Amino acid sequence: MTLRALRALTVRELKRWVRTPTAIIASVMTPFFYLLLFGQAFNIGKFLPSGNTPAVLAAFQGAPDYYSYFSAGMVIFVVLFSSLFIGANVIFDKRLGYVKKLTVAPVPRSVILGASVAAGVFRCLLFGGLVFGIALLFHQIPGLSGLTVTAPVTAISVVEIFLAMTFLAAAFTSLFITLGYVIEQIEAYFALVNLVNLPLLFSSTALAPATIMPSWLRYIANGNPITLSINVLRENLFPYAGYYTYAPEIYLGILALFAVVVVALCVRVTVGALSPR
Amino acid sequence: MTNPIVTEDLEKVYPGGTRAVAGVSIEVHPGEIFGFLGPNGAGKSTTVGMLTTLLKPSGGRAFVDGLDLRTETDRIRRRIGLVFQESTADDQLTGRENLELAAAIYDVPPAEARTRMARLLEEMSLTQVQDRLVKTYSGGMRRRLELAAGVIHTPRVLFLDEPTLGLDPQGRAGIGQVVRKMRDDFGVTVFLTTHYLDEADLLCDRIAIIDHGQIKVLGTPAELKDKIGGDVLTVTPQQAGVDLEPILRAVPGVLSVQRHESAYRIKTPQGESITPTIVEACFAAHAPLASVSLKRPSLDEVFLEFTGRAYREEEGPSATDMALRMNQFRGRKR
Repeated sequence: MTLRALRALTVRELKRWVRTPTAIIASVMTPFFYLLLFGQAFNIGKFLPSGNTPAVLAAFQGAPDYYSYFSAGMVIFVVLFSSLFIGANVIFDKRLGYVKKLTVAPVPRSVILGASVAAGVFRCLLFGGLVFGIALLFHQIPGLSGLTVTAPVTAISVVEIFLAMTFLAAAFTSLFITLGYVIEQIEAYFALVNLVNLPLLFSSTALAPATIMPSWLRYIANGNPITLSINVLRENLFPYAGYYTYAPEIYLGILALFAVVVVALCVRVTVGALSPR
Repeated sequence: MTNPIVTEDLEKVYPGGTRAVAGVSIEVHPGEIFGFLGPNGAGKSTTVGMLTTLLKPSGGRAFVDGLDLRTETDRIRRRIGLVFQESTADDQLTGRENLELAAAIYDVPPAEARTRMARLLEEMSLTQVQDRLVKTYSGGMRRRLELAAGVIHTPRVLFLDEPTLGLDPQGRAGIGQVVRKMRDDFGVTVFLTTHYLDEADLLCDRIAIIDHGQIKVLGTPAELKDKIGGDVLTVTPQQAGVDLEPILRAVPGVLSVQRHESAYRIKTPQGESITPTIVEACFAAHAPLASVSLKRPSLDEVFLEFTGRAYREEEGPSATDMALRMNQFRGRKR
């Protein structure tokens, strides 16, 4: 019963999404432009003495160039970015009475949240994967930098990267969907999203290495869940002995714990928001 | 057989102190169409909200299909169907997909769901459009789809909150027919709220008039009208200047006579049987009549009688207004 409802509600979310092609095209274009414009323009590797491989490797945590370093960060940032707007659907669903319709149905409240999270995670993974693909493909286009992977691709590295994206997506989609249940005004929601979005990005190592940050920011950056996920990616893509404090499995474990705590809190809040008052 | 809805002094006080429902006690009988009639803000939707587990009662007791509202919300949810005043059909899904979703969340076995869907689509005249996205549906089609979704799991009680709000007269008539047919075919008990007097009159077996959170009067439409004390007969003489009043007053069964310009308003308990006597009496007094009209008392008058004010929409935003606004918003988007 529960599984059937979960599947049906998840499929509903995805169908609504697929049937809004404008939104999909726009969401694909956003990371594409990040990769094409920001990454190419912001190539801070140019400031390093050319040909000095050890210096480049040291600057970018083992990545062979800034663009590769940045692409790994961008994959994770797009996962976060895709999760931000999912809560807006909830606000519309509330206004259109869809949430009320579910509330009076004999569906466990956690399934209502679970379906939105499942659909959200799916979207995040899809876009994260897409960014990965585009970054790799840029190698084929003359005049553009692309993502260079210096480690052999193994099943373990693929699974670890997949899990890092999934844990992060699960935590943030739950968080923003729950915000959608709690907040009534769409304007307030977007204001909050913007408040969370950029600080999270800039206090992570997505765009710039922690080594160039002031020490207070470095502490924040090293604990930022965005950084933790990126660490799993970078350690798997560009192994670099001595830089990382922990093995990717440890970062994954911390991320899993973070996701479990966030999701559990969100379930509590959502169940409360959906209970008769 | 237990009454599908029983409430005892049901009460709802919202945070902030508004007493939306102030002690409602009703019994709805199996298989009847029970109407909750009242202006916006009277407490109709709040009562439905409590009976459908959306809102927590602040006081009193209520039983839905014999189950206690306070302790058995989950079992109640399986046994009730609900159509909200705002359109809740998913407009990015097709009609059929909407029904499939409803069947899944109410866990109707797939084979049974297919048969029921085919039958409901047919009954709601939606078979031709079942694979179209709901955003292309008219207001009436949406409503019928929502009704179909509301009964896909064969509920014991079907709640309809303002089922015809925002529909044109044709759409309203269609919904009325469908609601009655569902009651007749599936034996479902229907609890509906409306602020359309004529709709309550035509559709409901019994009506409760609610105002300021309290039931003012309850009975069949005919009983309520009888409480007004009979019919109104209006007669006009052929020649002006004749005073008919003494002649009319002399007819046995006439309660009162009022003159309005050239016409006379006669109140009487039995309008049909007294009409020939009145016509004859006037003819015999050499004051033949030009016209006679008989009016059964309407619910408008019932409402006036029991709430002390004329029936009209109240000021101020309400859930109903919100729903209307949402419909406009949706219309503009298309």
